[in-house]
Amino acid sequence: MYDIKPLENEWKKYRKKKLKPWIIASVSLIVLSVSGIFLLPKSKIDFSKFDNSFVIASNSTYTEDKKIENSNRKTKSNVLINDPLNKLEIEKSVTDQVNIAANDSSNAFVDIPILDGKQEKTVRYGQKGKAKVHLDIVDTTSVTAYKDVAKRFEKSHDIDDSLFLARSYYKKGNYKKSEYWALATNKVDSNIEESILIFVKSKTKLGRKNEAISILKSYLKKSNSQEARNLLHRIENNKL
Amino acid sequence: MTSRYESAKNVFIDSVDIEDYIDLDSSVAAYEQLQHSLDKPLKMILLFGKPGTGKSILLNRIQEKLKHQKEIHYFDTPAVTEKEFFHKLFKVLTQKDLPINTEVNFSALVDFCKNLRGKREIIILLDEAQMYGPDMMEKIRLLSDSRAVKFVVSLHKTEDEDLIAKEHFQSRIWEVIELKNATKEDQTAYIHKKLLKKNLYEIANSIKAKDMKLIHRFTKGNYRECNKLLFTIFEICEYYDKNEPAKVNYTRIPSKIIEMSALKLGYIHV
Ligand SMILES: Nc1ncnc2c1ncn2[C@@H]1O[C@H](COP(=O)(O)OP(=O)(O)OP(=O)(O)O)[C@@H](O)[C@H]1O
Ligand SMILES: [Mg+2]
Repeated sequence: MYDIKPLENEWKKYRKKKLKPWIIASVSLIVLSVSGIFLLPKSKIDFSKFDNSFVIASNSTYTEDKKIENSNRKTKSNVLINDPLNKLEIEKSVTDQVNIAANDSSNAFVDIPILDGKQEKTVRYGQKGKAKVHLDIVDTTSVTAYKDVAKRFEKSHDIDDSLFLARSYYKKGNYKKSEYWALATNKVDSNIEESILIFVKSKTKLGRKNEAISILKSYLKKSNSQEARNLLHRIENNKL
Repeated sequence: MTSRYESAKNVFIDSVDIEDYIDLDSSVAAYEQLQHSLDKPLKMILLFGKPGTGKSILLNRIQEKLKHQKEIHYFDTPAVTEKEFFHKLFKVLTQKDLPINTEVNFSALVDFCKNLRGKREIIILLDEAQMYGPDMMEKIRLLSDSRAVKFVVSLHKTEDEDLIAKEHFQSRIWEVIELKNATKEDQTAYIHKKLLKKNLYEIANSIKAKDMKLIHRFTKGNYRECNKLLFTIFEICEYYDKNEPAKVNYTRIPSKIIEMSALKLGYIHV
């Protein structure tokens, strides 16, 4: 009647996998605490190393941080100035992306989203090598979850992530960020209507109605989406 | 021999049966809000929520409760064609059948509704409204402008679309009621009450708080997913009970079985 054996085997595998990190963690904890006793006096010497890695990490974690640093360079430059490690491989593509965004005048993407200072401070470092970040993004509103998704996007370029961010920031009324993430989505895949709509809506909310209308009109030349047409109508009548 | 788990399993067959309605904190709140909105001079009310959050059962409940006091009609799955929909509506409004092979003249119907104003107040509960196209929705809106017919539009959208849906309606609909997934407390009450209704006291008792937490984690508090998961859990229990009774613990559902069910349903993976 019921094929239970394969399910039981699957469960055993699941169990094993679930326990593995715990075993590894506890074993390594023991190893660490034992070795920690011996290494304690040495650790002072390595302090500068830590300092450096902080700069790298905070600098390359993700685009938005980078941009803040750019825009705030005048006031905060002493932190990051002339850092030779600034140009790490990983961040390269990220920076390029931002540059493209800033230069692409047809997109009129001039405004750079700015994070609140709060978020900037909570940058987590030393996470780069870590395995997959597991996230439950459905109901979360916490700042770090958004940051984790953003970080994950930089690696994966998964438009589900960027769309999630665009949508959530729009919902929260943070139109600069929703505009940014809608555009990021559009760069990966320019056929996602939702990203275009959020982009246009964000622009409208940011007071750039004419720009929004012209983008939407050019989109409507290629598509006959009813949703887009409705949106155009609403924007034109100031009903957004 | 029938297993005690068989009846437990059947409790969680997914169906919208008004007999099975359960008062939960969230559903009571939504019910009251809906009832309150119906009393206001609104033209349209949007009942909104992810699939499986209890919209259909709520609409059924309100119809059941109010049917002796008000003209209230429940339209379930949308008619296949517009024509069929208007036939149905025509019957509700005029209490007459439309002869076959005739079509409803829409503007005449609007006039008819305008004439009803102040004489009758008809409430129409439109379930699964995401299936009506924009043209139909526009017509429904025009009808509701008559103020004789009030529509409660129930709409489910997937996570991706929910924002757009809400925005689409916000400007047109005066009240939005949103149903959400259950909290852990509500879900626990839901599971217990459902089992107790069928006198399955011992089984209800064998699901402990920790198990409820696990169930809530897997289903995210969605009622439909919860039904699916519990159905599978009891299905597995039933199997063991019949074939390998040594593996059954009657005082406590083992988390192993909960996890096996979650694997089977794909909430978790190896
Ligand atoms: N308050 C409640 N009392 C009893 N059963 C409930 C309650 N809320 C939800 N349910 C049950 O949860 C399941 C899903 O509910 P329902 O079908 O009403 O969801 P829905 O929101 O209409 O979903 P969809 O959008 O897919 O139509 C049903 O089996 C229903 O009986
Ligand atoms: Mg339903």
